[in-house]
Amino acid sequence: MARVDELAAPPLRGEVPLGAYRATLRRLWSVAKRNKLGTLGFVLVILILAVAVLSPVIKRYDENHQFQRPNPEFNPNANPLDIARNPNLGSPFILDRWQAPNWEHWLGTDQYGRDIYARIVVGARMAVIIGFGASLISVLSGTITGLISGYFGGRVDFFLQRVVDGVQAFPPLVLLLLLVSVLEEPNLTLTVVALGFLGWAYSTRVMRSVVLSVSASTFVEAARAAGAGPLRIMFRHVLPNVFATMVVIFSISIGIYILAEAGLSFLGLGPADQTTWGKMVNTGRNQLDSHPWEALFSGLAITLAVLAFNLAGDALRDELDPRLRGRT
Amino acid sequence: MTAYIVRRLLMNFVVLWVVVSVVFVTTNMLPGDFALRQVATNLELQDYSQALQEARRILGLDKPLWQRYLDFIGGLVTLDLGRSYETHRSTWAELGDRLPSTLELGGMILIFTFLISIPVGIISAIKQNTWVDFLLRGFAIFNVATPAFVIAVLLTLLVLKLDLFRIDVVGRPHFWTDPEAALKLYIIPGLAGGLTSGAGIMRLLRSQMLEVMRNDYVRTAFAKGLGENTVWLRHALKNAMLPVLTVMGFSIAGIVSGQIILENMFNIDGIGRFLYTRLILRDLPPFQGTVVIIAFVVVTVNLLVDIAYAWLDPRIRYAD
Repeated sequence: MARVDELAAPPLRGEVPLGAYRATLRRLWSVAKRNKLGTLGFVLVILILAVAVLSPVIKRYDENHQFQRPNPEFNPNANPLDIARNPNLGSPFILDRWQAPNWEHWLGTDQYGRDIYARIVVGARMAVIIGFGASLISVLSGTITGLISGYFGGRVDFFLQRVVDGVQAFPPLVLLLLLVSVLEEPNLTLTVVALGFLGWAYSTRVMRSVVLSVSASTFVEAARAAGAGPLRIMFRHVLPNVFATMVVIFSISIGIYILAEAGLSFLGLGPADQTTWGKMVNTGRNQLDSHPWEALFSGLAITLAVLAFNLAGDALRDELDPRLRGRT
Repeated sequence: MTAYIVRRLLMNFVVLWVVVSVVFVTTNMLPGDFALRQVATNLELQDYSQALQEARRILGLDKPLWQRYLDFIGGLVTLDLGRSYETHRSTWAELGDRLPSTLELGGMILIFTFLISIPVGIISAIKQNTWVDFLLRGFAIFNVATPAFVIAVLLTLLVLKLDLFRIDVVGRPHFWTDPEAALKLYIIPGLAGGLTSGAGIMRLLRSQMLEVMRNDYVRTAFAKGLGENTVWLRHALKNAMLPVLTVMGFSIAGIVSGQIILENMFNIDGIGRFLYTRLILRDLPPFQGTVVIIAFVVVTVNLLVDIAYAWLDPRIRYAD
């Protein structure tokens, strides 16, 4: 029962009554209890985001610093002839490389003596930037073309859909390799844009079908009858009704972009000046037999991040737009 | 049905034209060209710019862009995919050399995909919400989230640590020349690729099976006294396989196009690795030709899958 004063004075626009927050929390709690896997995903996502944001604080060492240790073989009195015979005699320090995990280097060091823990933490930031950036680009561009394609139909739709088919007929990795090769040294921006373009085809396709069904509804017809122009209908009437789908596509594809970027980096065509997990797996696998730590931990990091974003994305899809089940 | 197929075929030509144009434009946007690399590696040259011009003239890179585009399309129409700048052999010959390796790896991947994903999907559905189901679903989710190359690294580590066999492959063994060496070469990338491409199928098959089991005809089957296994395999599995087939179609198309990462990782001289090296060398004609061939295979397989779909399930006769 609503109290009398509430009936008399409805809350002002933009002002949310306190009870609404509690109701939202209660609803979230019930969803969380029902979907345990999704909850795990969200907890992991928050963890990864925290690591990514806090990486400069928690990385402990510079990720590019090459650790050295005193050279046991160093002989200050060695003459040039001995040094030529055994170069180890000449330098007082050598690289502290291939350390197994220990208290100083929590996850060990790589072949250049760099701290693996620091590199994993910095890599988390890259994964998050790439996943979110590419997903955002693909959803926004896909929504625009999906709106145009679905709303106008006809020739525009036909041509746009054939372009989408064309992009999807490429083996994804080949197109990706081609796009990032446009610069001599691919940078972070190019990588994100190329990944986003690849996702554009998929999000256009999904957005188009959702726009098609919304455009057929009576309220769109009513708006048209009332004399609203196509732009107004698209942005004021159709867009708000496909927003949930946009959120679902956005969240569900983050993991896929992280995977794709890992593959790109593994092939040596990832962002050139950044530390990424894919690169770490690639350098780490050279000493797999004797020093597996780098490949193992960076591979695990990829799996964990993709797993987290996948679980969270699936949960969001089931709550917001179950129609997309099986299409993603 | 015939009209549908004809319309789809015409559409596929438009799609292929899009692919041809995209690949032509992007490859010509790449920095540096083959002539540049050729000249740069020749240290005895006196006059670089003249040598560069000469090299470009020989390769036909001095012609204007529109003319090369028309030449490229004209070649495709007559099924001429051009010649490699590096080896001067035709793209068809180069692809023919590499197709066996790609098919061997692809076949291996496909076998593992089937062998692992279908039993896992079925068992997971039958044992719904038991610990077996949770374990298998966890396994599937892990494989979805792990890149094939990481799985390959883990498997390699396993083989090394347990000393299962020595990975000491020399040359390019095939299953018909040296089966033992070929098995050693292909088993790890095959399993890794199979696990990755099967992961989605496991989850899809499980949910499809559970969906089908809710139908009336399944209840009828139980009611007339059929055994548990018969109902699951004869009634449920058959109907649950349709969407799985579509996904399989996609993976087959992907397998033919070669596994760039796995082939590079294990030094398998297949189509994926060929594409990668052509791109790095800026050896454009074979790269462009191969991409067009792959796109052709992909759109054709998709069309076949759609036709098979309409044929298997008479309720679907696409109006669109």
